[in-house]
Amino acid sequence: MLASLCQVWISPAIGQQKISKENIAFIKYVGFPDAHSTWDDIGYSKRFGKVVVGVTNHVDKVVLFDYDVTTGKMTNNGSLADRAHLRPFQWQGKIHSKIIEGKDGYMYFSTDGGESREEYFMEHPAGYAGGFFMKWHPATNDFVNLGMGMQYESVKDIDIDPVSGKLFGVSYPQVHFLVYDPAKNSMKDLGRLGSSHVPRVLFTDWWGNCYYVDWRQRLVKYQTAQDTLLFARESLPAFEGTPGEKIVTGITAYAKDQKNNVIYLITYGAKIVAFYPQKDGIGRVEDLGGVADSRPDVKPYGPYVPNLNIGDNGKLYYFIGGHGNFLIKDRTVMMEFDPRTRKHTIIYEYPVDQLSEATGSDTKDKFGNLYFAGRRQLDSHDRSEPFLIKFNPGKKVSK
Amino acid sequence: MKIRFIKNLLVLGLVGLAGPVFAQYSYFKPLEGFGIEASLSNTSLKRMPMYRNAITSLTVQKDYIIGGTTATGNRAPFLFVASLSKREMLTLKDLNDEVPGQTSIRTGFFRAEDKALYAGTIATATGSGHLLRVVVGADAGIQVTDLGTPVPGEGVFALTGDDRRKMIYGISYPSGFFFSYNIVSKSFKVYKNSGVTPADLAILVHEYHQKPEEFLSGAMITDGQGLVYTSQPINRLVVFNPADESFTTITELPAVWGRRTLGRTESWTKTADGLLYGGNAGDGQLFQLNPSTRKVKNLGKPAMMNRLRGLCVGADGKLYGLSGALPGYVHLFSYNPSDEGFTDLGNPQFILKAPGIEQGIEWRGFQLSTITASEDGKYIVMGEDEALSQLLIFPVDNGSPKE
Repeated sequence: MLASLCQVWISPAIGQQKISKENIAFIKYVGFPDAHSTWDDIGYSKRFGKVVVGVTNHVDKVVLFDYDVTTGKMTNNGSLADRAHLRPFQWQGKIHSKIIEGKDGYMYFSTDGGESREEYFMEHPAGYAGGFFMKWHPATNDFVNLGMGMQYESVKDIDIDPVSGKLFGVSYPQVHFLVYDPAKNSMKDLGRLGSSHVPRVLFTDWWGNCYYVDWRQRLVKYQTAQDTLLFARESLPAFEGTPGEKIVTGITAYAKDQKNNVIYLITYGAKIVAFYPQKDGIGRVEDLGGVADSRPDVKPYGPYVPNLNIGDNGKLYYFIGGHGNFLIKDRTVMMEFDPRTRKHTIIYEYPVDQLSEATGSDTKDKFGNLYFAGRRQLDSHDRSEPFLIKFNPGKKVSK
Repeated sequence: MKIRFIKNLLVLGLVGLAGPVFAQYSYFKPLEGFGIEASLSNTSLKRMPMYRNAITSLTVQKDYIIGGTTATGNRAPFLFVASLSKREMLTLKDLNDEVPGQTSIRTGFFRAEDKALYAGTIATATGSGHLLRVVVGADAGIQVTDLGTPVPGEGVFALTGDDRRKMIYGISYPSGFFFSYNIVSKSFKVYKNSGVTPADLAILVHEYHQKPEEFLSGAMITDGQGLVYTSQPINRLVVFNPADESFTTITELPAVWGRRTLGRTESWTKTADGLLYGGNAGDGQLFQLNPSTRKVKNLGKPAMMNRLRGLCVGADGKLYGLSGALPGYVHLFSYNPSDEGFTDLGNPQFILKAPGIEQGIEWRGFQLSTITASEDGKYIVMGEDEALSQLLIFPVDNGSPKE
């Protein structure tokens, strides 16, 4: 089915990038014919050299895959419900969180309803029971269900304090910030931080502090040493006229450059931001402009970018498009952005039946390959096919 | 295929924020409904900081929304004033500046004829609660008078009053003693026989693992004759007669089979015809009490969840109330005694505008703790019970919210 992806159209604008279709590969998931999509549920195990992805049929089955970056082998690690010993009333629609490596080598993630049943039946016995924290070990294949976050609430994203092992989570739809210490089985609910729409992304700095946003798109820092929340005084940059619903949804993706002490963020309002974290207090924020050069037919805050990676060359790579928001109508583009020169370059352009959406943040292997969780649209009735995207701006990649 | 199509449309709306939202349910979004940002941490704006702002007491005097909050931990609560017409916070008073060591104002306000408001507090772990007299001036200034401690070592969990007798009545926390305060003589009286009995405590605490806030009456009301209605464990609707200082059990609160142990009143309101309407926290029933006949009519549950945290009467003659609580959501509902019965309005979602968010953001009310009507009944005001709580307000216009 993915044979058609060989027909990827490459923009003539690649210029000196010398990036060709040989620099990108779309890799199939195996043994899951009903696979429908992925959403941000991707991460990299540095210790074991595996990219881990949660793939869903978007109804009632989620399968955990790993891709060995050395051998190129894709492995199906079984259904989440079976591995986590879930009962039917604990059905899960998807993994919506990043999949993040802990110091114990386990890959941590959380689960989400991701289904009409969650939205419509809500807090009802026929509705959604609640999302779980879970972990899986890439070497031993050990799988542990760490328990539920909040009753009836899913856990949209998590991150981890690499030092203490504490997990951070955000609930849906009530936007509660959760801190879970697996070592003590201690779950702290620090309360609601958002308005009517849940910001989807948490991220951490090098000291284990975790960041989220409030309804004014101000950074909120969980100070891990103090076990307290610190709110930024100012909102993140936004284009003039950015609608409220984009402000309240915060950031969509991030990529970290620890060597230069910067974390790049993309907002729901299509801004690229350089955030310079500091151990204490909120760090400096620099507005790097929009995700694309301005176009007369597109509002500057319009393009949708739920993904971001940083190459070994220091440049940012992201796909624009998805969920009806495109830079070019019904086409998904991959952008290269140089934070130093602030130059945008479209590298690839795909019709939606080849690539309709890519998600995932900061997923890079030891070879400098960047990974995204992609999918392509099969018809106008939301049937889609997910696949793993592997990209390297500096060299050819293989599947 | 159809399911996928529906899902696609849903996702477009919920995740992509693009295009029309397919919805089998909708939020309560009446025209002219609005929010007031009451809480925000680290700001120069007049806002309450995190964990000190759960709006647990609320009333309206002319243009002023007056609130009292509950804090978490050992933090102190606030009294605040917001303007209905300006849609902004006007005054904040840190209660720690007036009465140190308090953590909650959760009784609601009793408004006396002279416009003074009476409320009770709960102290941090080791202290005593106080009875407060609160006066809001024309300039929105808040004047607090500490009237003292009704029951040493206890807080004030619920409160009402009687203008004719110049009396305040309350329930202490955690022991549940009924007390009175004579406004003229400034004297307290505690009815020691009114507390939770050791036998009931054995059941409630040791057998059912309930906390005092889960079995004490959270709301009281006085009828036109000066009789005071409250509840006492287990599940008893009780009236106090000030004339002979007697307590009489009227009946059991309406309960769902098997859950009568959870029964307690947590909201009351009075309609123009003198009928009383109450909410039972245990399983969320609305009931009507005719004080003349002392007959109780079970009106049923507005929504599936337990709790019924607030009730008020709008200018349209309908009751508005808050059904449900964590772990579910609060459902705003209306009840029309004449013909309509219950209408489940769901979560309200109103536009909140403030400096810095002039374009407006939508604020969805998940956990609402208080509801009250303006003096003319034309505005319904709700307060949240969150880590950062806001006010949500909507007008009622000659019969119903403007849709």
